[in-house]
Amino acid sequence: MAVTLVTDRAPRRKVRDRHHRGASRWVVLALVTLGAVIMLVPFLFMLLNAFKSPGDYSSAGPLSWPTEFYTKGLKTYWTEVNFPLKFWNSLLISGSVAVLAVAVSLFNAYALGIGRVKGRLWIVGLFLLANMMPQEALIYPLYYAAKQIGLYNTQLSVIIIFTVIQSAFGTYLLASVLGTFPRSVLEAAALDGAGKWTVLRRVVFPNVRPTLAVLLIFFFIWTWNEFLIPLVMLIDNSTQTIPVALASLQGDRLMDAPTTNAGALISLVPAVLFFIIFQRTLSRGITAGAEK
Amino acid sequence: MTRFRKLGVAVVTAALAAGTLAACGGDGDSGDGGDAKTLKLWHYESANSAMGIAWDKAIQTFKDEHPGVEVQFERKAFEQIQQNAGMIINSSEGPDIMEYNKGNATAGLLSSQGLLTDLTAETEKRGWDKKLSPSLQTTARYSDKGVMGEGNWYGVPNYGEYVMVYYNKDLFTKYNVAVPTTYDEFTKAMDAFVAKGVTPLAEAGAEYPAGQLFYQLALAKADRKFVDDYQLYKNPVDFKADPLKSGAQAFADYVAKGYVAKTSASLKAEDMGTAFISGKAPMIVSGSWWYGRFKNEIKFNWDSFLFPGNKFHAGSSGNLWVVPAGSKAKGLAYDFIDITLRPEIQALIGNNGGVPVAADASQITDPKNQKLIENFNTISQQDGLAFYPDWPVPGYYDVLVSGFQSLINGSKTPDQVLDAIAKPYGEGVKEITGK
Repeated sequence: MAVTLVTDRAPRRKVRDRHHRGASRWVVLALVTLGAVIMLVPFLFMLLNAFKSPGDYSSAGPLSWPTEFYTKGLKTYWTEVNFPLKFWNSLLISGSVAVLAVAVSLFNAYALGIGRVKGRLWIVGLFLLANMMPQEALIYPLYYAAKQIGLYNTQLSVIIIFTVIQSAFGTYLLASVLGTFPRSVLEAAALDGAGKWTVLRRVVFPNVRPTLAVLLIFFFIWTWNEFLIPLVMLIDNSTQTIPVALASLQGDRLMDAPTTNAGALISLVPAVLFFIIFQRTLSRGITAGAEK
Repeated sequence: MTRFRKLGVAVVTAALAAGTLAACGGDGDSGDGGDAKTLKLWHYESANSAMGIAWDKAIQTFKDEHPGVEVQFERKAFEQIQQNAGMIINSSEGPDIMEYNKGNATAGLLSSQGLLTDLTAETEKRGWDKKLSPSLQTTARYSDKGVMGEGNWYGVPNYGEYVMVYYNKDLFTKYNVAVPTTYDEFTKAMDAFVAKGVTPLAEAGAEYPAGQLFYQLALAKADRKFVDDYQLYKNPVDFKADPLKSGAQAFADYVAKGYVAKTSASLKAEDMGTAFISGKAPMIVSGSWWYGRFKNEIKFNWDSFLFPGNKFHAGSSGNLWVVPAGSKAKGLAYDFIDITLRPEIQALIGNNGGVPVAADASQITDPKNQKLIENFNTISQQDGLAFYPDWPVPGYYDVLVSGFQSLINGSKTPDQVLDAIAKPYGEGVKEITGK
C-alpha cells in the first residue's frame, strides 16, 4: 500500500515531500527511541543491581552506581541453585511442550478448520475458555489427578499439562487461520488424488509453517516463564525449573535484592538467546514459504 | 475409513511422544525404600544464615552418630513450602522431616488434617518441653481444631524472634539526643529529633511493620489475659477498649507529631530496612530477623533495646521442625530434632546472629549477639512473647495493612480504623471457634 502512494505523488513534490517526511521521521525516531529506552529501563536496573554488593544496595539504594564490580551474587546464585541442572530442566520442559503443543494444535486445527467438524464454533469457543481459566482453579484437580496416576513430582506431568494449555490457544488461532484456507487449493490437491494425510503434510503444513514457527517460539517462552504449576508439581530440587529456583532467593521476611537481580539476569539470558536464534530461523522460514 | 486412519495416526503420535518423554520424566523419581536408611530433610533457611549454618552442623553430627544412614538434604524455596506443604505431605514424595511455619493457618491447619505426627510422647521422653519456655511452647502445641496454645505437640522450635528498637548511635550523638531507657524518654528523644527536622522512626505502611508498631503500642497496656483473648480466643476482644484503643490512638499521635512520616504509608519493609542501613533513619521498630543483615551491612555504630516500658513484646518461637505423618524415618527424625536442641548447635545459632531458644548465654562470644540473646531471654523468662497481630485470623494481614495505611496517611481516624479491623477479626474468630 505504501508503495502505490509513493509512486502517485513522488514525481511532482519530490523535494518538499522529502523535507517534510524528513522532519516527521526525526520525530518518529525520537519517539521510538524514547519508547525503547522506557522499555529497557527495568533491564538496565536489573543489570546495574546484579553487580552491586548487598551492603552497597542497602545503603545507597537501587539507583546508585555500584562502588565495586561485585560478582558474588552471580556466583552464589549459580552454585546454590545448581543452575546448569535447572537450565536443562527448563529447556527439556519448554522444548517438549513447544514441539508437542504445536503438533497437537496443527492436528486439532486441521480437523476444525479444514475438516469442518460439526459444531466447530462451539469446540473452538470451548478451547478458548479452557485457555482463559485461571491456573489457580486448575491446580487442585491437576494435583489429585497427577497423584492418582503416579505422575506427581515428574516433569512429564508438567509437560502434559502445558501441552494441553498451550495447544488450546494454538488450536483456537490455527483453526481460524485454516478456516480461511483457499478451498481451490484443497480441491486441486484432492483431484490429484491426495488423501487427508497427504493434504495435511504436503499442502497445509508448508503453508502454515511461518505461523507454526511463531507459535513454537511463543509456547517455548510462555512455558519457560511459567511459575505456579511447576512450583506445585515439581517438588524435588532436581526436577525444578528456573523460575522456581529464582523464587528460592526470596525468604519469609527478608530479601536479597542484588542476588535476586543476578539470578534474574542469568535466568533471562537463555530466553533472550533463544529468541534471537529463532528469530533468524523464523524469518528464514517465512521467506522459504514465500518462494514456494 | 480415512477418519479412523487419521485418528489412529493421532493416537500413535501421542503415544510415541508420551513414551519417549516418560523416559525423561522418570529421572525425578528416586526409589525410596521403607527401611529407614535415608533421612529426607528439607528446610528453607539460606546457607549463610544463622539457622543454615547451625543446621549444617547438626546434619554433620547426625551423620557421625548414624553411620550408614544417608541424609538427603534439600534447601527449598520459602514460597514453595508456604503454598504447597499440604499437597506435598499428602503425597508419597514428601520429606521425612521438614521446617515449617508456625501458626494456626500453617502448622495448625496441617495438624488438624492429620498430616503431622504427634510428637507429645517423644517430647516428654526426650525432655524437649523442659528446654522451651511456656510462651515458646504455645506455637508448638495445637488443639484438635488446629488452634495453637494447648494440646499435642506437633512441632519443635529451634530459634526465636522478637520485635525491638534498633537505633543509630552515630545519629544520636550527632543530634545530641540521649538514648532512652523509659517510654517517657523514648518519646522525648523522638521529640528532639523532630525539633531538629529528622523523622525519628522509619516505617513501612504497605507491609507488616506498621501493624507490629501498633501492636507494640497496644501491648504497653496489655496483660497476658489480653494476649490469650486476642490470640487464643479465650474471651471476646473489645476493640473499642484499651489496650487496642490506646494503641491506635498512640499510633495516630505518632503520625500527628511527625514521629512517623506520612509518606511511609506506601513503603515496604525493605524500604524501611534500607532507610536504617543507609543511616537516614535514627530508629526502627522491627524484628530480630534483621539482625544478621544489619550486622553484615551497616557501617556506622548501632545497637538495639527492648521497646521501652513494655512487659509484652511482639515475637514468638521461630519456625518448627515437623515430622509429616507419612514420614518413613520417624525415629531418625526425632534423633535429628534432639541434636538441633543441643547446646553446641544452639550456641552456633546464637554466634551467627540468630536467637537460640535453649542457649547458654555464656557460650555466645560476640557482645552484640550476647545482648540480642539476653534481651530475648528476658522476654522469654517473664513470659512476655505476645506473638504477632495478624496471627489470629486467616487473611488478617491484609486487613491490618490497609487499616494502618489509612491511619498513616490520615484518611481515617483511629476509631474508624478500629472498626475496620474489628469486623474481620470477629468473623474470622467465629468461623474458627464456631461461637
